[in-house]
Amino acid sequence: MKQKKKEIETEDIILEEEKKPLDVSNASSDDELVLESDRPFLERLGRGFVNFWRNKSTIDTLKYIGKRLLLMVLTFGIVFILCFILVRLLPINEDTGMGDPEKFKLSMVAKGVYRRIDNGDGTYSYEMIPVFLQFINFFKNLFSGTDHPFGYSYKIEWLSSPADILGGRLAPTVLMNIYVMIVSVPVGLGLGTFMALRKNHWEDHVLSVLIMLVISVPSYVYAFVLQYLFGYVWQVLPPTAASSTVGYTSPTYFVSIILPVLSMCFGSIAGYARYTRAELTEVLTSDFMLLARTKGLTRGQATVRHAFRNSLVPIFPMILGEIIGVLSGSMIIESIFNVNGVGGLYLKSIETQDYDVFQFVSMFYIFIGLVGTLVVDVSYGIVDPRIRMGGGK
Amino acid sequence: MEKEVMNFNTDAAMDVKSIPSELFRKKENNENLHDQAFETKPISYLRGAFMRFAKNKASIVAAIVIGLLILYAIIVPFVSPMAYVNETEYPNGFKDPNFAYALPYNPVNKALNLGWWDGTEVKTGQGNIDLEMYELDDSNHSPIAEKIATVQDEIAGKIQTHYTLRIDSYSIGCKEINVSMDEYDRLVAYEKEQGIYHTEKSIMKPLRDYESYLQRYGDELREEIRVAEEEGRQAPVNENGVIAILDYLETYYNQHQRVWYELGARNYSQNNFAIRHDASNKVIPIYEMNGDEPVYAKENLGKMTIRVDYYDYFTFHNGFEPRFFFGSNSAGEDIFYRLAVGTRFSLLLGVGISIINFIIGLIWGAVSGYYGGTTDLIMERITDIISCVPSIVILTIASVQFTNNAGLKTTIGQEGIIVLAFLLAFVYSGWVGVAGTTRMQFYRFKGQEYVLASRTLGAKDTRLIFRHILPNAAGTLVTSSVLMIPGVIFGESTLSYLGVVNFSTSGLVSIGSLLNEGSRATLNAYPHMLFFPCVVISLLMICFNLFGNGLRDAFNTTLRGSED
Repeated sequence: MKQKKKEIETEDIILEEEKKPLDVSNASSDDELVLESDRPFLERLGRGFVNFWRNKSTIDTLKYIGKRLLLMVLTFGIVFILCFILVRLLPINEDTGMGDPEKFKLSMVAKGVYRRIDNGDGTYSYEMIPVFLQFINFFKNLFSGTDHPFGYSYKIEWLSSPADILGGRLAPTVLMNIYVMIVSVPVGLGLGTFMALRKNHWEDHVLSVLIMLVISVPSYVYAFVLQYLFGYVWQVLPPTAASSTVGYTSPTYFVSIILPVLSMCFGSIAGYARYTRAELTEVLTSDFMLLARTKGLTRGQATVRHAFRNSLVPIFPMILGEIIGVLSGSMIIESIFNVNGVGGLYLKSIETQDYDVFQFVSMFYIFIGLVGTLVVDVSYGIVDPRIRMGGGK
Repeated sequence: MEKEVMNFNTDAAMDVKSIPSELFRKKENNENLHDQAFETKPISYLRGAFMRFAKNKASIVAAIVIGLLILYAIIVPFVSPMAYVNETEYPNGFKDPNFAYALPYNPVNKALNLGWWDGTEVKTGQGNIDLEMYELDDSNHSPIAEKIATVQDEIAGKIQTHYTLRIDSYSIGCKEINVSMDEYDRLVAYEKEQGIYHTEKSIMKPLRDYESYLQRYGDELREEIRVAEEEGRQAPVNENGVIAILDYLETYYNQHQRVWYELGARNYSQNNFAIRHDASNKVIPIYEMNGDEPVYAKENLGKMTIRVDYYDYFTFHNGFEPRFFFGSNSAGEDIFYRLAVGTRFSLLLGVGISIINFIIGLIWGAVSGYYGGTTDLIMERITDIISCVPSIVILTIASVQFTNNAGLKTTIGQEGIIVLAFLLAFVYSGWVGVAGTTRMQFYRFKGQEYVLASRTLGAKDTRLIFRHILPNAAGTLVTSSVLMIPGVIFGESTLSYLGVVNFSTSGLVSIGSLLNEGSRATLNAYPHMLFFPCVVISLLMICFNLFGNGLRDAFNTTLRGSED
């Protein structure tokens, strides 16, 4: 059995031999040649982990990550201060039309925006606190453990916490983005590989033009077209997302978000395909591919085992970034299909001028963006050791 | 690469062999051999770029389409008759709610009778009353363009007939309107001049008098009840029923101003009417009569109340026919005209913001790239911080803040506030990209020998930057900023579509605000309101991207195809 396998996968052995000098420290004591690919997955993972920590550059990597983390916290802090001041400077409309104005004022006192003054005759008057003091009050509230450190929603859900509202809206957004990834990553990578292999053939030309068109056209155009054709003209799929009462994991809900997921997939697939094609064509023309072919590998073997893996190096961080991005919803798609997600919440907070929710969701989006870039940058170095992290010019 | 050289060599060898021997001659000893001077003119950088650009067919097509769209955006707002309507009558531009949601009308399709894009729509499941209402229209334009199908089905033992009709959405029938005395006199003079005064084809139609008919009909019903009670029978309907029927009928007459004949309750049902005919089976009109003559006009508080064929009256009143190439929106505004205005706004905003971003980014990137070191580090951190705040946050805060600033509102108006908010939102972080590109170019050129030479000769920093480095980087920077225009247009359309900025109270229109209007009307019923803006924005995005890529390939030969 083993013999047969060795015969078939000769090039695997060659591959391992290429790596062998690097693996001397971890080579097993018994003389028998054990293929890396024959080891159980967990063991391989463990060895990789050990290798990672024994590596000298790991310390550099950690230093770099630490530096980036610090910078991220600093950036986030400054942006937070900016947003806080800008939002708190917006005019306050005391008549929210949702509930008792007295409660509104009391909540403003709890937030540290208003000061309550006893008039002495049983009535109270309110006075606004300067923005700088409001900022200090915000931190006092944050660390003293009040139940509403991030303020109150006045328009969307009367006097509930923006964090709670956001938490309730995460599920559909995350679900939709995950579906989009499940569809678009394999299809996009597959298309890109196909195009790179058929480079300068008619298939490649046709697909290239198509991808250019698909990337240029705004996603809401697909959304409208899909909604109109499938939802209204042919009536095969529901034109808007089902209400949250059916449960986000139920088949009804799944069917109802097929259209928004599809309309987000187009651009995503085109993006992956274009990127994969560019990377793979670059790798396919490099010297080690020539070497692989000279060793006697077929074109398919060389492509899948040498070229494709290498072309994934820049694509993998891209996918990682997108995984982080599943938390942030597309405002435009969610508003077209009436999805009760984060993007929809953000839009609603802008429409109704619900400032605390607006600020909270804005900071949420900014935070995700920052973490996304950090993860992408760091993972570049981890995936591809050729990239020196934080290296000088 | 090597392969190419080899090919070239063998080709050259072949060429030498194939040259006929009579072309060779012996060189004289005292003869001086010189290279021949070039007879052709040298090709400049710009000319070379242009020639390379001209080879790229897709970019040429894109450039032509952009040109056409720009022409459309410039010419239509000046040429369209909608731009020259009476300003006191239409203070915020032309609109006529009577023609709300009119369907796109293309005269060519109408002439060829293609059945689509000709202002008609197919309505299925139309009952008898609908068919009769359309058939018995006394206006000059028949609403039924085509009777497609008749379906009979039996529901609860009753045979019901349903029709599939093609309805002309511009034939909106007759309307009762109040006009000034002057207008009335002009209309009468016009009709007399045309020879259609008080004829079949006249614009003015006899007035309806359904109030007195309803009274008559009510009396008739009550008489029936009285007779039934006298004879001891069960009355078909009681007093409350009569009132309900009359109420319903009155509403029906109010809503359907094209109905000019007597209607009666079918089986005394409140909401099911039939046309009443006289003994000779003729439809009984409810025209207001003065003796034997129908009344065409009535004075009412210094104005004349007349009933007109609205399509013809509109043509008479405004001087152009109400035909909308791209249809009309919920307020009855012409989408063809508004889309041109919106495209103009979006293009201007895109180009304007790109220029501002370009200038700011250029200066920032030049300073940061040229000086490097700590300056670069600090400036980079600042751009990092700036670029991580999304423009939607800035736009929201700016538009709320500006709208609540009364002083600002009176000085620059609602239009100014929108433009200012957009400027702020897109300029705020838009220049970061240009700054990055400029910085890279500066890093590339600042270490080169010719810069060093100039510095040795005592050139100042500004001279080095603006005379020596920047011109070299100009090609890359200009082409990359062309690609910024579609980005701004896309961003603007997205944010206006989402309604972050409220366009409705201002006279401004953008492609995004048209999309917003289209999505507020239901997509199901009026897809034309979204279709045309979508086509225009898609064309703009595709063509600007193609054009920008073509320019980049033409100017930077080293980058060719790297990002397409």
